[in-house]
Amino acid sequence: MSLQRIWAAVPIALAALAEPAHAQGEGDDELSRIPSEAPPAPPAAPSGRSRLGKTVYVESATEAELLRSSFDVPPPSPTPTTIEQRLFVDAVLHWIPIRDLTFHLSARAGLRAGEDIAFPTHENIRVDFRELYASWKVFEGAYLDAGRINLKSGVAIGFNPTDFFKTRAVVEPLSVDPSVLREDRLGTLMLRGQFVWKHGSVSAAFAPRVASPPPLYTSAALPALDPMFGRTNAHHRFLLKANVDLIEDFSPEALFYQEDGAVRLGFNIAQSLGKKVVAYAEWAGGSQSGLSQEALAFGTLTKSFSTAVADNLATSSATHFQQDASVGLSYANESKMTFWLEYHLHQAGFSRGDWRFWFDQGTGPSGELLSPLLWFERGYAQEQQAPMSKHSLFLRADWADAFIFNLELTAFANVDLYDGSTLAQVTASYAVTNLWTVALLSAANVGSRRSEFGSLPGAFSALFTIRYYF
Amino acid sequence: MSRTNAFRALTLLVVAALSPRAWGQTAAEIVARADDVRNPNAAFRFLSTLTEYVSGKPQAQNVLAIFSKKDPRTGQFRNLVRYVEPPRDAGKAVLLDGRAFWFYDPASKASVRISPQQRLIGQAAVGDILTVTMSIDYTATLLSTESVQDANKKPRTSWHLDLKAANELSSYARIEYWVEQGSFQPVKAKFYSDSGRLLKILFYRSFETWLGGLRPTETVILDAVDSSRVTTVKASEHRLQEIPEAWFQREYLPRLEAQ
Repeated sequence: MSLQRIWAAVPIALAALAEPAHAQGEGDDELSRIPSEAPPAPPAAPSGRSRLGKTVYVESATEAELLRSSFDVPPPSPTPTTIEQRLFVDAVLHWIPIRDLTFHLSARAGLRAGEDIAFPTHENIRVDFRELYASWKVFEGAYLDAGRINLKSGVAIGFNPTDFFKTRAVVEPLSVDPSVLREDRLGTLMLRGQFVWKHGSVSAAFAPRVASPPPLYTSAALPALDPMFGRTNAHHRFLLKANVDLIEDFSPEALFYQEDGAVRLGFNIAQSLGKKVVAYAEWAGGSQSGLSQEALAFGTLTKSFSTAVADNLATSSATHFQQDASVGLSYANESKMTFWLEYHLHQAGFSRGDWRFWFDQGTGPSGELLSPLLWFERGYAQEQQAPMSKHSLFLRADWADAFIFNLELTAFANVDLYDGSTLAQVTASYAVTNLWTVALLSAANVGSRRSEFGSLPGAFSALFTIRYYF
Repeated sequence: MSRTNAFRALTLLVVAALSPRAWGQTAAEIVARADDVRNPNAAFRFLSTLTEYVSGKPQAQNVLAIFSKKDPRTGQFRNLVRYVEPPRDAGKAVLLDGRAFWFYDPASKASVRISPQQRLIGQAAVGDILTVTMSIDYTATLLSTESVQDANKKPRTSWHLDLKAANELSSYARIEYWVEQGSFQPVKAKFYSDSGRLLKILFYRSFETWLGGLRPTETVILDAVDSSRVTTVKASEHRLQEIPEAWFQREYLPRLEAQ
């Protein structure tokens, strides 16, 4: 051992001597925080061949809405209810009766009452069968699913151009938060095959047409027990999608979608940029007409109004290649906050000129006649789960354990880039215990009378929910 | 200086003089041996029960099923985490694979990519903390040899190591790590952020024999940012399990079962 090494070791040894005095105080403080009792043993995991997994909760939701008193383009009656009370049971069950076979059920059933809902009628009862399907593992990595399935695609947060099965599927959402809209939607009757392997996956799904498309639904005219296949299976639809690890950590997804012969292509990708940022992009394109023309064609098809009436607003019904895109970034910090910024392109949506036309027609000499059609276009766009305008911006922030443990704050804003009008929503959700959760949500449509969100009937709304898990 | 302290100083002087090859081990070897104590080399599955304490009182409990398998290319564990309890989180799943992190929510049927920072927000981060192969993700330096108290306030003569992130995949910028001499059992660790902020203090305890080794079954995580918060992580139901490579595809997340 050289003298130099011994000398070099002296400070380490002295530091080690000094350390106990320093570490003792700090260490004592740390040690005093350690719980003395071991946590209780975890619940015994289900075992055996037959297994049942369930998530069941009951929720009370009370909503109050403040409506605008004057409009440039008055919405047709009935206007949205201002106070509504809902009480429902939500259940998601997975049953594995034998190895490699699983049955899935997802449903919501409950009661509702509101100012514009007659009592007692069938309108007070709502049952939605979101999913009911069987899943069979043919061999490792290969699966066949059949039944009503909620097939979701896409990597964006606010708008998913490649989520082709989203249209018309959302039923009575408690919130316009895109993440909630995805929860309150019906699955589509389909047969799906999927193969997942080491370097990627490929899925093919076929959804047959089993019903005619029904007219637009309103909150006050929802069927009580109808599975509403007209919403989800009004067309023959086929989806093929695949993702492959092209290089390490680069696995874009490509999609081919066909609906009654019309083809749409899509792709999406999400990548980490450093430790705190994720960048993502989602694109879909195909031949289609503009939003207004699509809505009017749908209205005449479903006999919501006559062709003659629709002709008052009809412009060109020609189809051409239209693109949808969602491009965004997320950023997370060390304080458990995550922020998203997303740009949305919906080429079939309203341009600045379309909006001017919409308001001019609604306030013109034929405004009273055309108003129902104009609002029909808005309702149609809402059911399509696509932005109304060509260009919009989506911002979102989540803060977990905000101020106190188990309190989550969420805020988002949807901004029309033409007129600056905004849909803004703030939610505070608190998990009181492992079984009880309460949440308070408030939303506002802000903007001038001649703007996308400023022209909507609802100005401000508040929602209070209490949820109990069984 | 008392006679006891003088003797202790002499002993530590000799030990430290052997650095960086303390006891014939380099810092990297010590960390690698401690990695072997913490986790087996084969793919395995276990249940992890997280109990969150606020001001000393248990506030919430989560149960996670964690599937861990080493990536043959990097030697680092990849984790699949499925939430079992509480009911509001049941069915959620997280894929933690190198730099690819995906979160699946069965309520929205959506898989969302999350950043390395974002993955530390949820309880699934515990999967990373428990199975991180420190000898690969971090470059170790031996600081000293010292007596450190373990979670049961028992003194353990340990190597005090300073670990610096060796690559961009490392969850934390720096870790202070105490490993007991002789047994190579991890005793304590302090995790720091990029900005040098102390985030977590870990104590390993309840060493029991599972999957072929005497390993910790409980980890106590002290939140260094919010001193009122402590999380205990109790591991159980360990078993070796064949985990197909396909499971580490994001499209597999909806099909991941807790069993």
